[in-house]
Amino acid sequence: MRSRITVRRSRPRPRPGAVPRPSPSTTPAAVPRGPAARRRAARTGQYLALLGYLVFLAFPLLWLVSTAFKPPRELASLHPGWLPDHPTLDNFRQAFDEQPLLRSAGNSLIASLAAAVITVVIATPMAYVMARHHRSSLSRAATGWIVVSQAFPFVLVIIPLFLVLKEVRLIDSLGGLIMVYVVWSLPFALWMLAGYARAVPRELEEAAAVDGAGRLRVLISVTMPLLTPGIVATALFAFITAWNEFFFALVLLKSPRKQTMPIILTHFIGTEGVADLGPLAAASLLATLPSLVLFALIQRRITSGTLAGAVKH
Amino acid sequence: MIPATADPARSDQGSAPPPSGAPGKGQGRAASGHRAWFLVLPALIPILLLSVGPLLYGIALAFTDSQAGRTEPTQWIGLLNFQDLLRDTLFWESFRIGLVWAVAVSVPQFLLALGLALLLHQELRFRWLSRALAIVPWAMPEVVVGIMWRLVYHPDAGVLNETLGTHRDWLGSLSTALPAVVVVGIWARLPQVTVTLLAGLSNVPRELHEAAAMDGAGAWRRFRAVTWPAIRPIALAISALSFIWNVNSFALVYVLTGGGPGGRTRLPMLFAYEEAFRYGQFGYAAAMGCVLVAVVSILLAVHLVARLKGDEDA
Amino acid sequence: MRRRTLLAASATGALLSGCAPERRRATGGRITLRFQSLAWQQESVAANKQLVGEWNAAHPDIRVEYVQGSWDGVHDQLLTSFEGGEAPDIIHDATDDFADFAYGGYLADLTDLLPRRLKDEIPPRTWQTATFGGGVHGVPFLQEPRVLIANRALLERARVRIPTAERPWSWAEFEDAAEALTRDGAYGVAWPLKEPVSATLNLSLSTGGKVFHRGRGRGRGRGADGKVTVRFDAADQRVPRVIHDQLGGDRTAARTTLGMGGSDTLPGFFGGKYAMVPLGFSYRQQIVQQAPKGFAWTVLPSPAGPGGDQRQGVSPQTLSIAADSPYQREAARFIDFFLRPPHMVRLALGDWMLPTGRTALRDPALRTRRHGWATGTALAGQLRPAPAQTVRGYPEWKDKVATPALQEYYSGAIGMGELRERLVDDGNLVLARYQR
Repeated sequence: MRSRITVRRSRPRPRPGAVPRPSPSTTPAAVPRGPAARRRAARTGQYLALLGYLVFLAFPLLWLVSTAFKPPRELASLHPGWLPDHPTLDNFRQAFDEQPLLRSAGNSLIASLAAAVITVVIATPMAYVMARHHRSSLSRAATGWIVVSQAFPFVLVIIPLFLVLKEVRLIDSLGGLIMVYVVWSLPFALWMLAGYARAVPRELEEAAAVDGAGRLRVLISVTMPLLTPGIVATALFAFITAWNEFFFALVLLKSPRKQTMPIILTHFIGTEGVADLGPLAAASLLATLPSLVLFALIQRRITSGTLAGAVKH
Repeated sequence: MIPATADPARSDQGSAPPPSGAPGKGQGRAASGHRAWFLVLPALIPILLLSVGPLLYGIALAFTDSQAGRTEPTQWIGLLNFQDLLRDTLFWESFRIGLVWAVAVSVPQFLLALGLALLLHQELRFRWLSRALAIVPWAMPEVVVGIMWRLVYHPDAGVLNETLGTHRDWLGSLSTALPAVVVVGIWARLPQVTVTLLAGLSNVPRELHEAAAMDGAGAWRRFRAVTWPAIRPIALAISALSFIWNVNSFALVYVLTGGGPGGRTRLPMLFAYEEAFRYGQFGYAAAMGCVLVAVVSILLAVHLVARLKGDEDA
Repeated sequence: MRRRTLLAASATGALLSGCAPERRRATGGRITLRFQSLAWQQESVAANKQLVGEWNAAHPDIRVEYVQGSWDGVHDQLLTSFEGGEAPDIIHDATDDFADFAYGGYLADLTDLLPRRLKDEIPPRTWQTATFGGGVHGVPFLQEPRVLIANRALLERARVRIPTAERPWSWAEFEDAAEALTRDGAYGVAWPLKEPVSATLNLSLSTGGKVFHRGRGRGRGRGADGKVTVRFDAADQRVPRVIHDQLGGDRTAARTTLGMGGSDTLPGFFGGKYAMVPLGFSYRQQIVQQAPKGFAWTVLPSPAGPGGDQRQGVSPQTLSIAADSPYQREAARFIDFFLRPPHMVRLALGDWMLPTGRTALRDPALRTRRHGWATGTALAGQLRPAPAQTVRGYPEWKDKVATPALQEYYSGAIGMGELRERLVDDGNLVLARYQR
């Protein structure tokens, strides 16, 4: 079933974490052909298309930022301008006044950190086993579960989970939410970590073992250091996933003082959908910053991690 | 934000990581023992308790009349929920909306992403800007994406009406609500699909391209003959995934319209959520979940079969 | 088989519950009650908080903690907090929202908890709005009739008879008046129809419409054993037809307000685009706040049905006590304090609504002609329990079936036949699920 491309490949494949970087000669348009005028026309077309994409991707973002800095008078104007004429930070102050933003950020932070740490702590050993014993029935079952868990709508899981957590009084508690987050990010964490664990050369471990180091020692002093970058990337990803998560938090957290940031954001939209636009935009910006920064750090790893399997399939 | 559908056990030979002596097949079998179980247990227990368990429990619930409230005990009612579902025109309408939504988002999203990936694969200026921009929607909380587009679509203070000179209530009127929401759906996951395809493009063997160019093949022919076969597996994987994600999406529409106006954007997920957590009809909602799972599984199976066939033909 | 026997994971329950949050309160003989209020207008939030403050000053042993809730999504929020055992002790809601909670056993029966004084203060027909299956599950304390708020200048110019609480318009007179008022680019009436169901059902009471029938086995085998079914017959269709005809037939109603909520119509009302807007009584507050200087407006009673029938359905706001609360007696004491006649007047003024208590209703502050208070209080005797509210499954019927169906009927997308079909057929399917 492996596609023929894999067989034919002659180039060394990219390192893990390397983002594909086109070399000029790879690209079709760079191959000399036809008259120069036609090439220039093609180039222009390409730039126009790129511009179109840029506008489509950027204009909502720009509008969000602009709204966050607009004073009330400009927000109420019948002809809103693209940029605030008199930028102000009032919306941010007001956002903190209107909703318990700080506390919700704290809740989000606790839930995301705990979920991230617990996820990698319990996933790393299993991923290691999956990588080293990938033929065992356990690994097969785990892989099957990872695939299947993608196709399941989470309503089907959340209803029973809700009833179970209710029985053990973990509704409206960050503890319950963290448990759900851990299970929810496990498939991806296992997937990524198993990929990284496979990358640790078995020879290194064997050499250490020959030198007389015990199995556990080998794991700690040889394998772990090599795995660390992968573990960090996985943890960060689990953190972002939890930070952004909405559905489970909506169902499980009910009292305002326990709710996470995405839920509090929806509280800015009041009855009849009337929203205080300025503070809403300001709070939304603040909520996005952490995941944006972290994501920028690990985006390359995520791409390669996600694709580890699919690309070479 | 989830792994692709491939099987790591199979992919290890050619897969991402290292340029090392790849582990030989079958070595694992000898080494597995008690220690393996010890290492696996911490992850296995939560998986069984909080994932597999609830799943089976959820399927069982679909055959009960479980409701919110403590006055009446839950009873097995056999297939009654499914019979009700069959006659529930609202659910099937929601189901139809869900399919329209998933297709209307996934297909343009894929085509647009392919176009953008091909562009970004070129040596163009401002590519860095596009790449940076492409990360942002991916990293944003879905709730924020929804809020942002609400600001864009806002009938009075929105930039869209101002730019187009219209006075439409995009999200509030029966005819425009679904298309407006679909655009947001496309926007939200365009980057993810693009970056994935871009990674696929880097695997296109350059010798083939050069050879094809020597033979005088045009851009379209080169794409058909060289690029597409090379990225086909990844394209199929990501399109299947994005379809599933879209069927399952919730937060975007919850924030944008809450399923309104008049149920025109009430995706099946939203429908089931309301049934369970607004009206307390747990059993009935679980039955909806089961139907959704069944349909998604069938679609996936069809997709996979088509893929196998394609591979054989190739 | 009970739900919990299905529980695969309950084995870990004991283990995990170790880290569950402790149920608070009772520190050093002091208890804390959580009171979730849905007040949202500034004046009414202030009135609520002030009363809580006064209580806390007088009762150091029974502290009440004010929790701000919001009408938006309150049903989901309460449902899951009840299910999760995290509900507040004292719950502010409305009678059309809490039928499922009352039937579900989440709200304490107040029959033996409330003092005589409070019971006598509120008339029996009002208590009926909060009575479910023989138990009283909430204290109805504020209610609002629907009224017509009219532009006085346009009204005088059109020379129509000005209706009063004693001599209201009939529905036919109302249609004529709307026609007379439609001229010079102004519409006679603007129906804000974003949430059309309760307006339609409650006004239909005047023409004898009931929609929900507790059957005795008639009609296609449904409705047996006291189960509730939906019907949509001539009496139920009268008011919807008027609204529909005004929008689509003689065009005396503005079509642009179809998707609007009440507040959205106000700018157009101030601008003279609409002569009359049917709104809840409490919208007067927004009008007072937002109306341009010199804008003259007046409050008219809603049209009456045959024989001058001015009955209207209402779903009063209520205070309830959670069945799970360990301090129900204390909570009832707080409610008694909170709803003393002078306090009820303060709450009513804060929300611009009518109090349900007899003594409170006699307060001169609520009898003034200013801002139309007198017109509203004169209607108080005609307010009846909304037809739908004791029906299990009504919220789902309303959201999923009736709201879209009525919206499409009013916009002209479907006719009366299909409207009836959807309300009745789809509706009964929903209700049946709740009444197995």
